Amino acid sequence: METPAIARPARPNWIVLWGSLTLTVLLIGLYLALLWAPEEATMGIYQRIFYTHVPAAFTAFVAFFINLVASVLYLLRRSRLADAWAVAAAEVGVVFLSINLITGPIWAKPIWGIWWTWDARLTLDLVLWVMYVSYLLLRQLTPRGDLQPRLAAALACFFFVDVPINYMAIRWWRTQHPQPVIFGGPGSGLAPQMYVALAVCCMAFMLLGYVLLRLRLEQEMDRHALDDAQRALLLEDVGG
Amino acid sequence: MADFRIAWATFARDLRLELRTRESLNAMLFYALLVVVIFSFAFESEAELTARVGGGLLWVAFLFAGLVALDRAFVRELPGDTLTGLLLSPAPRAALMAGKFASSFILMLAIETVLLPLFAVLFNVSPAVHWSGIVLTVVLGTWALAVTGTYFSAMSIHTRHRALLLPLLLLPVVIPAVISMVQATQVFLGRSGVADYWWKLLFGFDVVFTTLGLLLADIVLDVD
Repeated sequence: METPAIARPARPNWIVLWGSLTLTVLLIGLYLALLWAPEEATMGIYQRIFYTHVPAAFTAFVAFFINLVASVLYLLRRSRLADAWAVAAAEVGVVFLSINLITGPIWAKPIWGIWWTWDARLTLDLVLWVMYVSYLLLRQLTPRGDLQPRLAAALACFFFVDVPINYMAIRWWRTQHPQPVIFGGPGSGLAPQMYVALAVCCMAFMLLGYVLLRLRLEQEMDRHALDDAQRALLLEDVGG
Repeated sequence: MADFRIAWATFARDLRLELRTRESLNAMLFYALLVVVIFSFAFESEAELTARVGGGLLWVAFLFAGLVALDRAFVRELPGDTLTGLLLSPAPRAALMAGKFASSFILMLAIETVLLPLFAVLFNVSPAVHWSGIVLTVVLGTWALAVTGTYFSAMSIHTRHRALLLPLLLLPVVIPAVISMVQATQVFLGRSGVADYWWKLLFGFDVVFTTLGLLLADIVLDVD
């Protein structure tokens, strides 16, 4: 009785490289955000959560965009790799948007005096989060096989056309959010050091997102390889 | 033209099935009625409250009742495995889907036709309100729910916990439509404002999702 060797994709050393790079940038970002950047004039120390809040949203949006591109690619090419990218990106996106949605109220409470308000941007964020959680649930509840990626990709297309309609509906319904501070009109804007801290934090979060996405991607491809090996074994049993 | 005939045949067949087996139609109606009755216990059914949040109450009731009808759209095909029959036919998937859209829409409208007067009575809606505006909103809003819901119904029959998955998929996607229909209805129940913008948005939602649902019909209606 010999255990058949399962062909396993060789795992390169990239995790060590990218992992340590991410950790370094994260630590630098943390230092810049918490100690180096000047204190904001009116919000004081509370404003420093901004360096987590904004990069998290940014990373999540990039991840959802990757999910969309991967889903469309899947529908066109039916490639497993495209589907693996779609799952990985959706999961990473949900994680980072959750960070954004959790840090938001923590920041809002001392500044606005309330945890949550149904303002346009908050609502849209929440809707996006709800959508991609339902996407992950669909994947979980669909039996594995060709059907699962197909249905998930169709749902991603529905989300894509739904987001602009949501944007219009929600903007018309509620607009009380403070105007964008970063690229707003005269009088708004950040101190130069704040930009630097924000940029580094964004880079750190994007790197972290990338590492998580790659890990998840490999896991997904391993799963396919395992499924294939199992199927081959079964066929062998039946045949021999 | 042939596509249209196929869509019509699917539509007519669905309605005939529902009318013959009656049980599901009766059950849906009674369920919808219960929702409205429970609402009148859960909220004070005063005219003043209706003027403020009546639109929301009405649409949540429609949504709940609609979910039952939408679930039926493809579950109807399961007992005799008639779905396989449909899918083995050379009929274009988009035509089948179009027929299903229409039958869900008509079934939901049928339930709502009974529900709306009942709601008006139980929640003391003034008979003087602008009914034609409400009816237009109901038609546009119901089409929005019927199209997306039918598509997701086709999606969910392949999954575990299908009855649970349908609302999980449908509710996030119909958020903009729900905002629009509630806001438009509210305009006629006593809040100042205009419904124009919301009608346009609902119409846009209807057009976009009908097109998308027909374009992507092949994905959910496929023999495995």
